[in-house]
Amino acid sequence: MSSGQVTKRVKYKTSVKDAGTPGRLSLVKERLLFRPNNPNSASKLDMQFKYITNHRYTKEGSNKAPMLNLTSNQACRALAPPVEAPNLGASSQVPSEQPSRDDLLFRARLLQDSSELQKLHQQFVGGGVLTEAEFWATRKKLLEKDSNTKSKQRGGLKSSVLGESKPLIDGRTNRVTFNLTPEIVREIFSEKPAVHRAYLNFVPSKVTEKDFWTKYFRAEYLQRSKNIAAAIAEAAEDEELAIFLKPDDILANETRRKIRRVDPTLDMEADQGDDYSHLPDHGILRDGSKEVPEPGNELYRRTLLQDLNRHAAVVLQGTPIDEEQLKDTQTVAEALERSKQERSTASKDDDSMADQERLKGISQAMTIDDLRGSNDHHLAPLWIKDPRDYFDSQQASSFRTSMEATKGSMSSQEAYGLLRESISQIKSMGLNHPIVAPEVAQKVLSVLTHNISSTKYNLGKKPGESLLDSLPTSVRDELLHHHISIEELMKHFWSSYPITTKYLNTKVIKLKDEMSKMDSQLQKLKETVQPDIRHQITLLIRPMQQALEAAMQHYDAEQQKRASKAREKPNGYS
Amino acid sequence: MKFQIEEVTVYFPYDNIYPEQYTYMVELKRALDAKGHCLLEMPTGTGKTIALLSLITSYALAKTESPIKLIYCTRTVHEMEKTLAELKFLHNYQVKHLGAAAKMLAIGLSSRKNLCVNPKVSSAENRDSVDAACRKLTASWVRSMAAENPNQPTCEFYENYDRAAGGAVLPAGVYTLEDLRAFGKEKGWCPYFLARHMVQFANVVVYSYQYLLDPKVAGIISKEMQKESVVVFDEAHNIDNVCIEALSVSVRRQTLEGAIRNISRIENEIDRFKDIDAGRLRAEYNRLVEGLALRGDLSASDAWLANPALPDDILRQAVPGNIRRAEHFLHVLRRLVQYLKVKLDTDKVEKESPVSFVASINSDAGIDQKALKFCYDRLHSLLMTLEITDTDEFLHIQTICDFATLVGTYARGFSIIIEPFDERMPLIPDPVLQVSSLSLSLSLSLSLSLSLSPLCMLCLCCHDASLAIKPVFDRFQSVVITSGTLSPIDLYPRLLNFHPVVSRSFKMSLTRDCICPMVLTRGSDQLPVSTKFDMRSDPGVVRNYGKLLVEMVSIVPDGIVCFFVSYSYMDGIINSWNESGILKDIMQHKLVFIETQDVVETTLALDNYRRACDCGRGAVFFSVARGKVAEGIDFDRHYGRLVIMFGVPFQYTESKILRARLEYLRDTFQIKEGDFLTFDALIDVMNIELTDRNLNQRQAAQCVGRVIRSKADYGMMIFADKRYSRHDKRSKLPGWILSHLRDANLNLSTDMALHIAREFLRKMAQPYEKTGSTTGRKTLLSQEDVEKLGNNGAQEMLY
Repeated sequence: MSSGQVTKRVKYKTSVKDAGTPGRLSLVKERLLFRPNNPNSASKLDMQFKYITNHRYTKEGSNKAPMLNLTSNQACRALAPPVEAPNLGASSQVPSEQPSRDDLLFRARLLQDSSELQKLHQQFVGGGVLTEAEFWATRKKLLEKDSNTKSKQRGGLKSSVLGESKPLIDGRTNRVTFNLTPEIVREIFSEKPAVHRAYLNFVPSKVTEKDFWTKYFRAEYLQRSKNIAAAIAEAAEDEELAIFLKPDDILANETRRKIRRVDPTLDMEADQGDDYSHLPDHGILRDGSKEVPEPGNELYRRTLLQDLNRHAAVVLQGTPIDEEQLKDTQTVAEALERSKQERSTASKDDDSMADQERLKGISQAMTIDDLRGSNDHHLAPLWIKDPRDYFDSQQASSFRTSMEATKGSMSSQEAYGLLRESISQIKSMGLNHPIVAPEVAQKVLSVLTHNISSTKYNLGKKPGESLLDSLPTSVRDELLHHHISIEELMKHFWSSYPITTKYLNTKVIKLKDEMSKMDSQLQKLKETVQPDIRHQITLLIRPMQQALEAAMQHYDAEQQKRASKAREKPNGYS
Repeated sequence: MKFQIEEVTVYFPYDNIYPEQYTYMVELKRALDAKGHCLLEMPTGTGKTIALLSLITSYALAKTESPIKLIYCTRTVHEMEKTLAELKFLHNYQVKHLGAAAKMLAIGLSSRKNLCVNPKVSSAENRDSVDAACRKLTASWVRSMAAENPNQPTCEFYENYDRAAGGAVLPAGVYTLEDLRAFGKEKGWCPYFLARHMVQFANVVVYSYQYLLDPKVAGIISKEMQKESVVVFDEAHNIDNVCIEALSVSVRRQTLEGAIRNISRIENEIDRFKDIDAGRLRAEYNRLVEGLALRGDLSASDAWLANPALPDDILRQAVPGNIRRAEHFLHVLRRLVQYLKVKLDTDKVEKESPVSFVASINSDAGIDQKALKFCYDRLHSLLMTLEITDTDEFLHIQTICDFATLVGTYARGFSIIIEPFDERMPLIPDPVLQVSSLSLSLSLSLSLSLSLSPLCMLCLCCHDASLAIKPVFDRFQSVVITSGTLSPIDLYPRLLNFHPVVSRSFKMSLTRDCICPMVLTRGSDQLPVSTKFDMRSDPGVVRNYGKLLVEMVSIVPDGIVCFFVSYSYMDGIINSWNESGILKDIMQHKLVFIETQDVVETTLALDNYRRACDCGRGAVFFSVARGKVAEGIDFDRHYGRLVIMFGVPFQYTESKILRARLEYLRDTFQIKEGDFLTFDALIDVMNIELTDRNLNQRQAAQCVGRVIRSKADYGMMIFADKRYSRHDKRSKLPGWILSHLRDANLNLSTDMALHIAREFLRKMAQPYEKTGSTTGRKTLLSQEDVEKLGNNGAQEMLY
């Protein structure tokens, strides 16, 4: 709240009897400011808190106008009764608290994150159906600060190995082309810290960027061709190339550090350190231990398996830099360096924490679950940024296959084409004995009727199929949007019953208008869509319409009841 | 929960208990009452360890007048950590319910490599160099030198520990290796020596098998354990192999070359000493004449690995005169090495008994048996006299002396096998050849090694597992041998030559069908898949295996483990999957981690694999059926929802060694039984059992059998090879897997397996009745049930 300030509309009085000057009173960290609405008015106030010697406030619940009475040692009496809100009596239910700036910013970000929410907001708040406060009141959960921290989800690294993408080999010119994108560069840098270091050291002071990468890929190419002798020869000549071929010393250090902190219940290195009966040459040599790598060339030996392990480890560790930083190699390299430094300082702090955590995890893993009476699992909540995207992508892939399978029969378009063809034939040739070729007629009839009946019978029969996915995307989006807006309206509508205040009454009226508007929109949508999907649309729209109708009916019934009540008790409700 | 087994109140840290665990405890208690040894088999996933720990600690609490100590032996350090974690959980529970009376001291013990906190020492690469680096700072002569010369570096942790002397004790509690290190760092005491000191006072000691079975280690660590101890060997199905390995030595050409270098270095040292301090060598000689191989008052930091022979077999005599003088001893060693070198220069397999070997050494090299026998002690004494601290340099000569001592000590139960092999050839002859005919594979490897320059290995093999374990059985009150698979359970008493008072095998009752084994014989294109030699490199098979995995990663949640038949096969198949893009498809769904030959890298890969499974990203782990991961790492719960076994793994059966062992067993049994017919039948059984045990337990059971952690856990296994559909191959799988293998799942193709997997996963996701009361038999007991059982007597158990 250091930056926050509270603003209230008040009247400023120098004495109790004074009529007062309307204006705004704002409280900042150290002082009290009053600015009159009329800039020409002389009664300004700028008072630091430390000068206030005494303050009094109107008793709560008293029917006098609330008033704050401040006494200061500057002999100036400042009385600042807050302006009476025009609807103070009725608005007890109105969520009227003034949102702080933080809240506003946060809301804006939420809107930005979710296009769905933005649309709704625009439609209802922008359209004046709901107030800002009402809109957010139903979304308290979203506004909780905890979820705020959790929602900082960033896209992870891709699981697949990008750098392994095959080079293009041009047989004619004997040239090998590698493609390099910032994403690949990021992968290379984070998986091979020695390359990263070399880049920071050499580029662009010693070699150009292009030369650097040419050398790198040359080393990679040698590595991949498994021509160790050639690799050694090249490395002997070119010391920069040798950097790429040599085992990574930064990595080796990191490995040494990590192995000390590995889960002791699977630490096979410790096993080895404790195994006295396999002193060199003691015990019976078993086959597993005998595949000794070729001596000498070990220095230049790096296998695919090691690369894969390293890659997976980096992916698991997570990306240290954001997508925005993926502009060019230089920025990637620098951003990575920065984040590495941050991480190393941070990791020193939470090393012991992590150790504690790890040990706790081990003892937890050792327990036998079903022998415990109650299980108090702390499950991490599943957080999928856009659930619909996630589930739809799976649905769609399975649906696509089923769609392809049903494509065998003719579409109505084709059937229509056949019909037209025969009509034009008739036009040109006149009527001959079978007016319509029986096979054509058969086809047209069957397809058209099938189209109508099949949807009726086949709908929802197949497990992988969903009605929604068979619709064109524009229609689908519109439908989904309508659905969500109706949901929103319903939520507000039903939550305003029973109507106890005038405020709710006006809200319900507004909502009702919007609902009828929505109803007509749905009707229009139904009429405008292509005829061959109209049936499906009708099916989908029906529940929405039913919901709307139910609400309308309820409204009408209430209205009637109220009218009859009002007749009985003319002074009942204002 | 708290319940009574006869007069003992058992504190069990859970609210419920499996009926198996209860009966297990009852049997165990009988064995403890009888102060005898016992043999208990209970399938994995029934909480053996916690049942064992809670009964024995409760027993110790109940019998305060004669306190018993628990010595718990595990195969590896990571199993030790697991046991200690369970013990910690149990201890917390007991302290909560019983107060301070339940307090105990439990420590895990490991090598310097795993316990050292001195940054200069612990950064050394392997165990031997850590040991040597430690000696360089802590050996008694180094320390006395440091007293005079302040520039001489010493280890402050050891000095602090030594200064604290009797005051250096661990407060009660359960200490894992990490805890020990942390405690040591905090107090500034050396955790290794502190732990070794505290072993005598601890109520529970957890360490590796070797610390009890291998005389080299047991001699310095476990000498002073009290008789009133309960020794537990967990996961003991391989215990006979550990026993045998503890007494076996193999010698290769590099060993001999290294030994020659060592001898020259020792010679130089002797010359140097002659110049500066001749009296010292003189003093050693006098000591040896008096019959003391070593000074009596060795400080702990000087202790070396002890004599490789068992304590009872070590002669308490003066070192024979012909090796008392340092120069003479070196001559003897030189001749011995020379003799072995000639022996190794052969291109055919030879087998000799120790007696004839010793005789030929005597005639060819002029070294008698007694001199051989004392080789180890003599070398030890010499190195101490010369104040050599970089012991890691002298491993080769040590090996030779171990060999000499063993060969001189034991006339029975050993044999010497010289076999040529080539290191550059991966020593896995093709499994098919190996199985179809052992002699064929032998001749094949022979012919290969002839064409390349032959390298020989001389192996002194122990055949009698009972030798190494005998002192343990004799010394301790109760020895408990337990594992998930010990069948046939009557074989073990014979192999290890002991008489158990209790020998029982328990079956596991499952609440629901939580394991789903499948045999996949065909790929998605309906063509057979196999790792048979003529098929394994077929691109169709490689693709079908890949497709199977791609399909499975898309439907199975969390972790999947794949086992391949060998490193080379795994390497090949991953490379071709990478080229054909299958790997990319797999990576779309899960991260890929791979076991390599580098232990450090494999450990990190495993750690990351677990992390990936924990965080929900999901991962696949590629491993090798004979590798270290398959032998010791559990893939329970979400760490292994599916295990795929690509092909049929065949152990390199150590054929010659194994055969020699079988022969030996036959001979000894013949002497014992006398009856030829029964013997023959027995040997047949033995023969099959031994080879099969190699095949089954180490592979299939080890790879696949560790998927289940509790009755609530579930997992699938796919055996992907057409040969599994044959009955003879399949019948070698463990019984508990076979009992869940339905006939319908015996001959599947990829798409069918996929369907079954989906169904299975869906079924397992449903909530179920945990106590199993719907099926009639209870699979989970509550406090009430246990009390009822206790009243009715355990006989009316569910079996």
